Amino acid sequence: MKTQQDLHVATPVRESLALTKLAGTSIYLKLDSSQPTGSFKIRGLGHLCKTAKRGYERFVCCSGGNAGMAAAYSARKLGVPATIIVPNVTPNITVEKMRDEGATVIIHGKVSIAYGQELVLAFVYKGKATHLWRSSKELEHDLKEKPGAIVLSVGGGGLLNGVVEGLRRANWADVPVVAMETMGAHSLHAAMEAGEHVTLPAITSVATTLGVAKVSAQTMKLSQEHPILSEVVTDQEAVKAVERFVDDEKILVEPACGAALAAVYSGIITRLRDERKLPQHLGPVVIVVCGGNNISLEQLDKCILTVC
Amino acid sequence: LDQPVEMKTQQDLHVATPVRESLALTKLAGTSIYLKLDSSQPTGSFKIRGLGHLCKTAKRGYERFVCCSGGNAGMAAAYSARKLGVPATIIVPNVTPNITVEKMRDEGATVIIHGKLAFVYKGKATHLWRSSKELEHDLKEKPGAIVLSVGGGGLLNGVVEGLRRANWADVPVVAMETMGAHSLHAAMEAGEHVTLPAITSVATTLGVAKVSAQTMKLSQEHPILSEVVTDQEAVKAVERFVDDEKILVEPACGAALAAVYSGIITRLRDERKLPQHLGPVVIVVCGGNNISLEQLDKLKKQLGII
Repeated sequence: MKTQQDLHVATPVRESLALTKLAGTSIYLKLDSSQPTGSFKIRGLGHLCKTAKRGYERFVCCSGGNAGMAAAYSARKLGVPATIIVPNVTPNITVEKMRDEGATVIIHGKVSIAYGQELVLAFVYKGKATHLWRSSKELEHDLKEKPGAIVLSVGGGGLLNGVVEGLRRANWADVPVVAMETMGAHSLHAAMEAGEHVTLPAITSVATTLGVAKVSAQTMKLSQEHPILSEVVTDQEAVKAVERFVDDEKILVEPACGAALAAVYSGIITRLRDERKLPQHLGPVVIVVCGGNNISLEQLDKCILTVC
Repeated sequence: LDQPVEMKTQQDLHVATPVRESLALTKLAGTSIYLKLDSSQPTGSFKIRGLGHLCKTAKRGYERFVCCSGGNAGMAAAYSARKLGVPATIIVPNVTPNITVEKMRDEGATVIIHGKLAFVYKGKATHLWRSSKELEHDLKEKPGAIVLSVGGGGLLNGVVEGLRRANWADVPVVAMETMGAHSLHAAMEAGEHVTLPAITSVATTLGVAKVSAQTMKLSQEHPILSEVVTDQEAVKAVERFVDDEKILVEPACGAALAAVYSGIITRLRDERKLPQHLGPVVIVVCGGNNISLEQLDKLKKQLGII
């Protein structure tokens, strides 16, 4: 391994004047969009790659998205060859970026986990890598007071899993998590409504990076143990949130991240307070700005035309 | 007030911001390019560093902070004042957008809209790159160069101070300006501390007609490569950067990014003003609030880029 340091960085938390004004309560942003590779995925994946046992000759990741980018970057930084297996719907620019990181990219049909397993020894499966919010140190360092709630997007639930772990370590196990999803990628919401670990028949949301049909087992478990408020927004709301956020905070995120931001832009925090699901007297609300690479101004325009 | 106002917090008002490699810019430049993401500071720009520090260490007995700036310094001052529990008055020129005035008022500041600004303060607050600790913590190896935008030169002053503290006093600074706000370049060319007759660049936050005395002094002591780009190049850089790195910055910041997008780093290496074997190049992404997608479109139309 070339380096002992973490592959991710400690990212800033800052107040959002614009969102605080809209929500009528203090809103902070955890800027994981400023991570190397542009999303929070480098946390869990970087850690996993770094701590992988010696003897692994190659990292393999099945992901055409941010996990794939994080894996390719981690591999390059650690001096380990990487193979990223991506579905054939992956944009060319993403494939090119992964190759620029030095990874071998195999464009497969529908991504098959078994194909990956044949090749190598270290295997990272999207959605299962636990997101680690760097234990409680970063959480408590960032947030001087106990937060009123943490707002985040849910795809497979890795981010939620890590955040709850961090909250527990900080002795903040009663801090509710507002778990945002888009309609058509609402695997957590469906499971919580059904009371069982269901699978969505299809992913129909434009927020493809939330597109995990079945939320992780750990997330299912935590939904029964931790105060989680599961909310779903439309693609329109997620995309509008992206559009407003780039003007409000000068950061361009994917619709997947827009889902979390819609908690403010679509008045969900306000409604939850009105419904007494969140207290009126609410501590600082922290939104995890998970980031994401699969967006550009042109893509945003297209999304707006498609969904709005 | 009889009693001095108590400072609410002993903590810094700015944060330690990430440095990350830019794959896109590295590919373009053909050499390692890193970004210091000061766009992720509270208030969206690096200004909170110097201004936050200044406000925090202000002597007791000050009952109010006053700042003359319709830009990022004003925002940083308003925010600092609110965090420290001190009333603030921000004096802004009449060309300041309404949305900026509103934001300052949202921070609790009294805003006075004045005519042409009398510059007592702007440009003099030394930017502190948090001594050498943040610099050395961020950059494990000695950088090949630091690239930054120059308005009044406060950022440059602080970076050079940080480099000296890290014993990296030979690391060149590539000082980027836009034509029409090129006060440093004009002074270096003239060999004296000249004043530009007017600011004609769209990068208004670089619009200081005379660079700071400290910057003038440093231009004679430190390896500084002064480069000027057009407004078009600065704005094109802003546009490309939002797609490459998902961050929307002002044209003032675009000037620094144009060092890569306009091939200036490459040219400097070809001209041997920067070594062929170059350590990591760090671009300070200074950020800035006075930009939106609509403003970017308007600028493109205005500059004939569309």
